[in-house]
Formats: sequence, structure tokens, C-alpha cells
Amino acid sequence: MKTENDKPIARQKRRSASQWAVAWRRFRRNKAGVAGLIIVLAVVFLGLFGDFFAPYPAFPNPHYLDPLYKGDVRKPPSATYPLGTDGIGSDVYSDILHGTKYALYVGVVVTIITMAIAITVGAIAGYFGGWVDNVLMRFTEVFLVFPSLLFILIFVRVFTLGAGVGTYFNFLGISVPVGLTIVVLVLAIFNWPGDARMIRGEFLRVRELEFVEAEKALGAGNRRIIFRHILPNILSSIIVVASLTIAYAILLEAAVSFLGFGDANTMTWGQILENNFNYMQTAWWAELFPGLAILITVFGFNLLGDGLSDALNPRLRD
Amino acid sequence: MKENYMSETLLKIQDLRTYFFTEAGIVKAVDGVSFDIKKGETLGLVGESGSGKTVASLSVLRIVPKPGKTIEGTIEFKGENLLKNTEKEMQSIRGKEIAIIFQDPSSSLNPVYTVETQLRDVLSAHQKITKEEARKKIIELMNLVGIPEAETRMHEYPHQFSGGMKQRVAIARALALQPTLLFADEPTTALDVTIQAQVLDLLEDLKKKMGMSLVMITHDMGIIAKMTTRVVVMYAGNVCEIARTLDLYERPRHPYTASLLAAVPRLDRKKTLKIIPGNIPNLIEPPSGCRFHPRCEYATKKCEEEPPKLEEVEPDHFVACYEWKNLTLSGETGKSE
Repeated sequence: MKTENDKPIARQKRRSASQWAVAWRRFRRNKAGVAGLIIVLAVVFLGLFGDFFAPYPAFPNPHYLDPLYKGDVRKPPSATYPLGTDGIGSDVYSDILHGTKYALYVGVVVTIITMAIAITVGAIAGYFGGWVDNVLMRFTEVFLVFPSLLFILIFVRVFTLGAGVGTYFNFLGISVPVGLTIVVLVLAIFNWPGDARMIRGEFLRVRELEFVEAEKALGAGNRRIIFRHILPNILSSIIVVASLTIAYAILLEAAVSFLGFGDANTMTWGQILENNFNYMQTAWWAELFPGLAILITVFGFNLLGDGLSDALNPRLRD
Repeated sequence: MKENYMSETLLKIQDLRTYFFTEAGIVKAVDGVSFDIKKGETLGLVGESGSGKTVASLSVLRIVPKPGKTIEGTIEFKGENLLKNTEKEMQSIRGKEIAIIFQDPSSSLNPVYTVETQLRDVLSAHQKITKEEARKKIIELMNLVGIPEAETRMHEYPHQFSGGMKQRVAIARALALQPTLLFADEPTTALDVTIQAQVLDLLEDLKKKMGMSLVMITHDMGIIAKMTTRVVVMYAGNVCEIARTLDLYERPRHPYTASLLAAVPRLDRKKTLKIIPGNIPNLIEPPSGCRFHPRCEYATKKCEEEPPKLEEVEPDHFVACYEWKNLTLSGETGKSE
């Protein structure tokens, strides 16, 4: 049979040209994106294993104040204390390492919850349209018009009142601080509306494409079209937004803690900033290095997000 | 008089009305359309863009996009009225009993899945099938529609296929479950001319092999002449003429059909192409009476007042025109003028 097809040789080279392979090739060429990825991988590594590298244990283990017992309070960075000690005699380097897992916990869990709500609301609103869309979007806008930081502070304060000192709950063998989890939930509840609108927009765009009509004509139901056909088509946007949401959540938690509304028993980076704020003039290192940790981490996730956006966005594809 | 060699009706559409409820007003895209599709035939559905031919076919599958809605009529398929079916019942008919091929194959395939996945999806949607069985069936289907090297190409994504090959994939997908009725909505419009013929040949061939009925939706009178046995001519949401293809080309009865035929370029006719004056009317406030009357050179007072009904002017030849008796319209042969 005659065909209008390309030669087999040309085809072999394109064999692996799936969407993800193409994206990865593009991503690799983006230096900023790769730098972001390296930072993120480093942060993830320290989040998982940082506790083992820390010279001193974390609160509530009493040995966390060992420098204090040696009289080493507010010592500048030195060979013994690479990033100095803080106002109550705790090793800043150890504190930052211990705090990494909390930063990741906040970033990842806030993002998972945010995305779960945003995808549900955005998908239903965007796919079904009409009055469903109207109701859901007005509801979303109610959340958007709240001065969110103020509400977050109030909610965190109200809900953490009951969480006692050093309360933890067990999740798959990992003890998770209750106070910080409340902060995470509150952040997620105020964080989803923007993402929901983005996902709704993507659904509005993709549902008009002809293949959706074609799938309908082949007997696909709504659920199948939403999850099997539209969602995979907007996965790239979701990944980009998720990586940016992680950065934003870490930053927001730091702000909440720095303002003194966070979980005082969990030494997140923001909490370290808050605890040492009064010693800024005599022990600047106890502010600078945790601040840098936040900066670098957030910067890393942002770079990664931008890199992914460039790599996955078909409109920019060359 | 020719005998009715294909008289068994597969699908019977009666007084179908599908309106679009837009903010600007109600667009009467399909307004009182009746025709039937016989078993094993190739029916042409012709008309200008916006004449309602696509909407009519989407109405049959009940996948008219919002804000469109079929508000009246019956669509009888294998003894049941499709318009009375539940959404679930329709889902089991779509793809399995009635399928459709769209105009642009590059947008009618999901870009994120390989061809294998897309074809397997259809196969597994209506029946239980193992991965291995599906694989065999997919290779068989791809061979059937003439895609070479099926075993390697099935792992490729739509963007790795050329336009014509993509349309073959789309055809394979539509035919995967051996539907009894296939709508082909301008299946070759988005393709190169050289590929068009191949795809049309393929459709004709498959139609014969599988014994299904085929509805060719097009504005191309050449395709109609080449492929169909019977034609339904639509204008502005109405049917204006139904006839056997040969009869229609030899002796069109409706002025609109005659104008369509006169607008086809021909080498053996030196006359300049006739242009149909004016545009297809606004379907929110369609013209009174016969919708074609503002553009019709034979229009009378009566045409403005009351819409004509389809009349059988000879066996199997229906026309909706008051003036058909008084007119001698030239057909494709161009002799009768």
C-alpha cells in the first residue's frame, strides 16, 4: 500500500519523543532551572538526613543546649560552631539542619492539600461550567478577598491554643508536631483559591479541544474525560504551579513564625528568626544564616518552577 | 423506476430541532430536519458552513456542545428513540454502535497518549479485554487502516504521525468496535489533496468490508459524487432536497442544489462559476417562509410567507420548494438549460 509516510530512519530518532522526554531535554539546557533542581535535591537530602549531620540534637533533647553549658552563648561562627551559637546557647548550624525537614514538611504538605482542593474545585468548575462554575468561583473569590495573612495569623493563633508543648502525633512511624500541622492546614485552606482559578482556566481551555469531543463520541463518561483525558493534558501546568506553591508555603510559614504566631515548640527556620530577633545586633549570624536558608530554598524551588514552566509550556516550545 | 435495493432503514430522524441558547438569542442551527439512513448505504450530507450538517450529526450522538440542546424530534435507531435514552445508555451506543470521525485529525487525538493507549482505551471501554488481546486487535486495526509497521508505530504519539496517518488512526479508533453507523464529518478537509483520495478510498473500502452505513458530511460536491448513493442537501438548518446522487446531479429540483452544482468548477464548461448571492442567513432570526428565498432568483410571494414542506416529486426524490414544477434547473450535465 502506498503511504505518505516518512522514512523509517528519520522515525527511529524520534521514537522516544514523548512529552516528558522532550521536556527533560529542554530542561537540561536551562542553567537556572538545573541550578534550582540541584538546590531542591540538596534541600531534600538535608531534610531526610540532616539530623544525622547535626553536631547537636534538636529540642526537646536537653543536649541541644550543650554549647550553653560550656558557656558558649552568642559565639560568632568558628571551627567549633560553623554558623555560631544563638542567644540561648544553641548551635545555629544544627538548628538549621533540624529545621530543613520542617521546611519541606510545610512546603510539600501545604502543596498537596492546596492542589487537592484546587484540582477538585477547578476541574468541576471548569469542566461543567454554567451555574456550577458560577457557584464555585464565587465561593473561591470569597477566599481571595480575605486579607489572607491576617486571617492566617488569627486562625493559627486560635487553633494552636489547644496544642500543648511538644505534642506530636504519629504518622507512619514519624512523629509530627501538632502545632506545625495546624499551621500547615491553615496555610493550605487560604492558599488554594489562586491555584483553583488557574486549573479552572486550563480545564476551560482543554475541554474545548476537539479530542474531548472525540472521546465523548466514543462513549467516554464525564469522570473518564476529566481524569483520563483532560487532567494529563494540564499536568505540566500543575507541576509548575506546585513547585511555586512549595516555595510560597515555606515563605509564608516563615512569616507566620517570625511574627510569633507559629508553633513555638517546633524550630522551623522562621521560628529561629523569631527567637533570635532580639539578639540581632550582638549575634547577627543567628539571624542571617537561617534567613539565608529560607532564601536559598525558596529561590531553588522558584528556579525549578520557572525551569519546568519553560520546559513544559508548549507555547514556548521551539 | 429503479427498485429500492437498500430499503431497510437504520436510522430515522424526524423533525429534529437543535437550538443553541446563546446570550445573543436562540440560534436555530437545526430546525425541523427529517431524513433517514438506510442499512449499508453511503449518504451524503451537504451544505455550506453553518447549514447545520455537523450539528445534526452531533445531535444523533447526543454530544451537542453547550449551550446547544436538542429540544424536539425523534431519532429512531434500531427501534429505540435515542433522544429518550439516558446518558448511560447513550455512552454504550457511542463508539460501539454509532461513531464519528472529525475534520482535523491533529486535534481529535489526545496528544499525551500513544496510539496504542488511545486504541486500547476504546477497546476496553465497552468490553473486558486483556492487554495481549488488545495488542493483537490494535495491530490488526492499524493494518486495516493501512498504517505500516504497526508494531513499532503503535508506541508513538500522535505528533509523530503525518496528517493522513493521524486521520487513519482516528478512523481506526472510530471503527475499533465495528459500529453499524459511521459519521465522517469532513474527514479530508484538513488533509493534502493527494492524501484526500487515499483516505476516501480507505473509507469506502472499510465501509464495504464492515457492512456499515456511512454518512459523509461535506461541502465538497466532488466527494459526494464520488462516494455517495444518496444525498441530503441542507440549508440554514433545514433540509431542502433528498435524492439519489445520480438523480440529484442530473436533475436538481431545488434552486439551492442547482446553485451548489453550478458553483463547482468544471473543465468541460467554459462558463464562469456561478456565485450564490448573499450569505447564509442569521439563524437567530432566520428569514420567514423558505429560508433560501432572499437568495433565490425564483422566489415568489408565497416563498416569503410559509416554509415549504418536503414533497416527493418522484420516487426517492424529495424537495422542499413551491416552484419545483415550474423550474427546469440545470444539473451537473449542464444540458437542460
